[in-house]
Amino acid sequence: MFGFFKKKQSATVAKDRLTIAIMSDRDGNNTYPFMDEMKEEIIAVVKKYIGVRAVEITKEIDGDFEALSIDVQLDKNA
Amino acid sequence: MGIVIAVISGKGGVGKTTATANLGLGIAQNGKKCVVVDFDIGQRNLDMILGLENRVVYDLVQVMDEEASIKQALIKSKVNANLHFLAASQSKDKTVLRSNKVEKLIAQLKQDFDFVILDSPAGIESGFEHTIEFADAAIVIVNPEVSSIRDADRAIGILDSKSQKVKEGKEVAKYVIINRIVAEMVQRGEMLKSEDILEILNIKLLGKVPEDRGVIDASNQGKPVILDKNSIAGQAYSRIAGRLCGQKIDMKDIESSDTGLFKKLAGIFH
Repeated sequence: MFGFFKKKQSATVAKDRLTIAIMSDRDGNNTYPFMDEMKEEIIAVVKKYIGVRAVEITKEIDGDFEALSIDVQLDKNA
Repeated sequence: MGIVIAVISGKGGVGKTTATANLGLGIAQNGKKCVVVDFDIGQRNLDMILGLENRVVYDLVQVMDEEASIKQALIKSKVNANLHFLAASQSKDKTVLRSNKVEKLIAQLKQDFDFVILDSPAGIESGFEHTIEFADAAIVIVNPEVSSIRDADRAIGILDSKSQKVKEGKEVAKYVIINRIVAEMVQRGEMLKSEDILEILNIKLLGKVPEDRGVIDASNQGKPVILDKNSIAGQAYSRIAGRLCGQKIDMKDIESSDTGLFKKLAGIFH
């Protein structure tokens, strides 16, 4: 009898697993469809002034706060 | 001007086409003019469920390519004169769909019908995106089962990013139907409760449909289960169709309703 109640019900296990899986699915979506295009344009603009090796854009989510970090790596030899 | 509703799922095999057929017929039974469109290009299932497979002459790809008029391609149901059907193409695949053609077709259907119900393909590829693009509302079909719920969440995510309404800054209405609920399993804690599914997906409930063997019997005959007044799934679809037509119908608590387990428990206490 007590063993029956001690065992975690599978519906509860399902809920816990789904909550975590879906949270990570949603966070994994940390990109925008226009990201590559935007990267190219940023490279083109910066190149007018200084050599660029690469541009890295990352979307960061912290609670309700979202930010895009744009990291421009310069090319010393250019 | 009619309302366009996309029936979507994420995962296949959850009862999307069955739901489309029954909701279409249920809406027609409420006296509204309704067309159900099979957008599952290359599969063609809705005609079988509706029992109209022998009457398909032209399909929706031919209409979009202007090889046939909408009038020629529409099939009127023998069961209810308010219900019309537009078949999917079997010879082409879903990549033939083009946004502008889909938009034009849907705009035309909206003129003639109160409800335009689109049965979307499973999965989340191009065919799915075209089905949701011009929809005013989406009905997500899920089973109380982990893979169905997870895939539904992905489909909802795509709906939120690809819908024309969302792009215009408006909101696309989203509802869920939880299909194939087994009350006895829910009561034993072996199946997810509706409230948990709603919490996980963060979506409004349109209706709950119990598991019912009559559904297969109905599709064998090409007579949607809603026609069977004794079927519990049919009754559930009737309630949902009524809600879609603006009636206030309380959510029936099918999860704690009479089951073998309850009867057995009652037996212990009496």
